[in-house]
Amino acid sequence: MPPFDTLNPAWMVWDGPAPAPEEAVLEYTRELEKFLAEVERRAFRMAQVALRDPDDAMDVVQDAMLKLARNYASRPSAEWRPLFYRIMENGIRDLQRRRSVRKRFMTWLPSAKQDPDNEAQDPLENVADASPAVPEVLMRDQAMLKLETSLQALPARQRQAFMLRNFEGLDVADTATAMGCSQGSVKTHYSRAVHTLRDQLGEVW
Amino acid sequence: MDDNSRESFEERSRALFQDSVEGLDFALRSRLTQARHAAVEAASIRRRPWFFRIGVWTPTAGVTAAAILGVFLWVGSPLGQHAVTVADGQPNLEDLDIVASSEGSGDAMDMLQDDVDFYDWANKAATPGSSTSS
Repeated sequence: MPPFDTLNPAWMVWDGPAPAPEEAVLEYTRELEKFLAEVERRAFRMAQVALRDPDDAMDVVQDAMLKLARNYASRPSAEWRPLFYRIMENGIRDLQRRRSVRKRFMTWLPSAKQDPDNEAQDPLENVADASPAVPEVLMRDQAMLKLETSLQALPARQRQAFMLRNFEGLDVADTATAMGCSQGSVKTHYSRAVHTLRDQLGEVW
Repeated sequence: MDDNSRESFEERSRALFQDSVEGLDFALRSRLTQARHAAVEAASIRRRPWFFRIGVWTPTAGVTAAAILGVFLWVGSPLGQHAVTVADGQPNLEDLDIVASSEGSGDAMDMLQDDVDFYDWANKAATPGSSTSS
């Protein structure tokens, strides 16, 4: 019996997933680019509403795009949307936590001065009154500004549920995936969000 | 709140949001496009098999190049040549003969003999009870 006869030469063979051919990679990246191009602006605006800062919103969206591409791109494309928004919502939450810790830390410093931009404000305090004479575009902008301000005053989960369901058009199941909660919770959060927003905006809308 | 009013509220808020999305300025759109391209590039790199990725081979290639350079330097140096000769099992005694028969070697051997005498004297001086007069 020759030495090493029992060794199976199959161990030398790459047994992982077959390398994707170039055409498959091209098709795949094209599909991903199409998806990101479709969601990127809405995602940015939703992040901007939540964070109130365009630079932070851009960072969160960019980070979500990269994480989706690196970690979840092998998933079926139908799963990308809820996964993308889940990554983005996690990024928003992390950023808000860091802000909260930083703000708490700054209040302990003797020389710390309150940044007037970061202070809690009445949601409708800075909204200009709508004048009947302003053009339609300005009225729309002001209505959106009021909606945005009211959204920022909502609890985070209600805001997420409202934006994902209403702005992004996700169904209840995908919204639950994006938020990491049950479908019943999504329905509850969404219903409360609509009720609160209607109460706040009903008269001026 | 009835269903009609709720639906109209949802539609209006959705339309306002979509208007604000369409109204994003060029600079923000450009940054989003750059971010998208970076993500797509990352995805295409990720999809390549691991043995095609540059990041995997860069450290390996560096270590290999350093090892090859080290071998060349070792073999090319006089010490390396001597080591190769000795490793062959045939020490080059001719070199030793040449050194021993060179013109200055006699003086060197005398000096070595002087050193032996000195160390012998120093040893006796350090030993108690021994005579150092010799």
